[in-house]
Amino acid sequence: MSWLAILRHRFVAVPLGLFVVALGWNIYVGMNDGGIIAGTVVDATGRPIAGARVVFFERSMLNYVEQRSVTTDAQGAWRFDGMAVHIGQIEARLPDGRSSERRQLRLWFRAQNTWLAPLVVDGHR
Amino acid sequence: MVVICVLMLIPFYWVLKTSLTGENIYAYPPAIIPVDPHLFNYVDVWYMIPFPRYLLNSVIVTLMAVCGNLLFNTAAGYALTRDFPAKRWVVLLLLSCMLIPFQATIIPAYLITSWLGVLNTHLGIALPMLSTIICIFIFKASFEAVPRSLIDAARIDGLSEWRVMVRIMLPLSKPAIATNVILNSIWSWNAFMWPLIITRSPEMQTLPLGLARFLSVMENTTGALYAFVVLVLVPGLAIFLMAQKEFIQGLTSGATKG
Repeated sequence: MSWLAILRHRFVAVPLGLFVVALGWNIYVGMNDGGIIAGTVVDATGRPIAGARVVFFERSMLNYVEQRSVTTDAQGAWRFDGMAVHIGQIEARLPDGRSSERRQLRLWFRAQNTWLAPLVVDGHR
Repeated sequence: MVVICVLMLIPFYWVLKTSLTGENIYAYPPAIIPVDPHLFNYVDVWYMIPFPRYLLNSVIVTLMAVCGNLLFNTAAGYALTRDFPAKRWVVLLLLSCMLIPFQATIIPAYLITSWLGVLNTHLGIALPMLSTIICIFIFKASFEAVPRSLIDAARIDGLSEWRVMVRIMLPLSKPAIATNVILNSIWSWNAFMWPLIITRSPEMQTLPLGLARFLSVMENTTGALYAFVVLVLVPGLAIFLMAQKEFIQGLTSGATKG
């Protein structure tokens, strides 16, 4: 039996195919698991908001609990580093009490680098 | 036939659908088509419990069981095709042992495993599955189907008993080998009672035990639970689908004469 025939045999081809997919996925994960979660905070008109506090909520056994927070810069940008999570919630809060909707975050793997769509803070408190 | 196939596949479809949506299984009316399907329940399963560890344990135990079965069952099956004193009694003994339920042998099996010092090890989990009587008889039936003249010709050429088995019998018994691989893979993959008794640390648990632990620890995780079930089922289904031709051949070989 030639090598090609052995490779094409389903007992070899299927596990080999699965191995290649798993290897490719792990390489992709290895290249994108910096644990960066970043985005911007804007108001209802789309203008960036500086000084907003962005809170990350980690899932516990029963609910989501506040874990870390960062403050937006002059461009309204924020960034968490070293986030070894795959699920959580993000919310932006302003000093005057206004806040964005709490956004559910679900990642394909732990510590996936993620750039979120802008968190919009509108008029509600 | 198609209707029966569809009916048989409905539970699988429902498990798969629930794993992709996480919807309440008691919802009425139930959604036939998945609404907003996603794969995040599988991600949850991967990280909420030590799934890779359970998977590794199951793979190691299954490989040990399959290798052990191929080794011991071929030897025993070949021996039963030869003539030796009290062969009839040995066959009767093996057949009568098949009537004893595994639950009745758990305590002696546990004591023997303890005496061997392999409690809470992969070998200990695989030990009772290293040879199964029904698979011995599958090999026996397959070996008996090999023409006697072939074996005689091999002996005239000077082959020993082991080489007759390896060079003549096994290449002609591929369906029986495939049947052994599939049956033992599925049995050892799904084994619950023995691994539950023999394992003491969570690091040694296999996937079925992990499923039970998942059920006891996590609440309100219907989607993740069903995703776990799918992940436990998929390897067994893949092996069966890969080898179904040999599986059917192996089960039916020796069923008819002529």
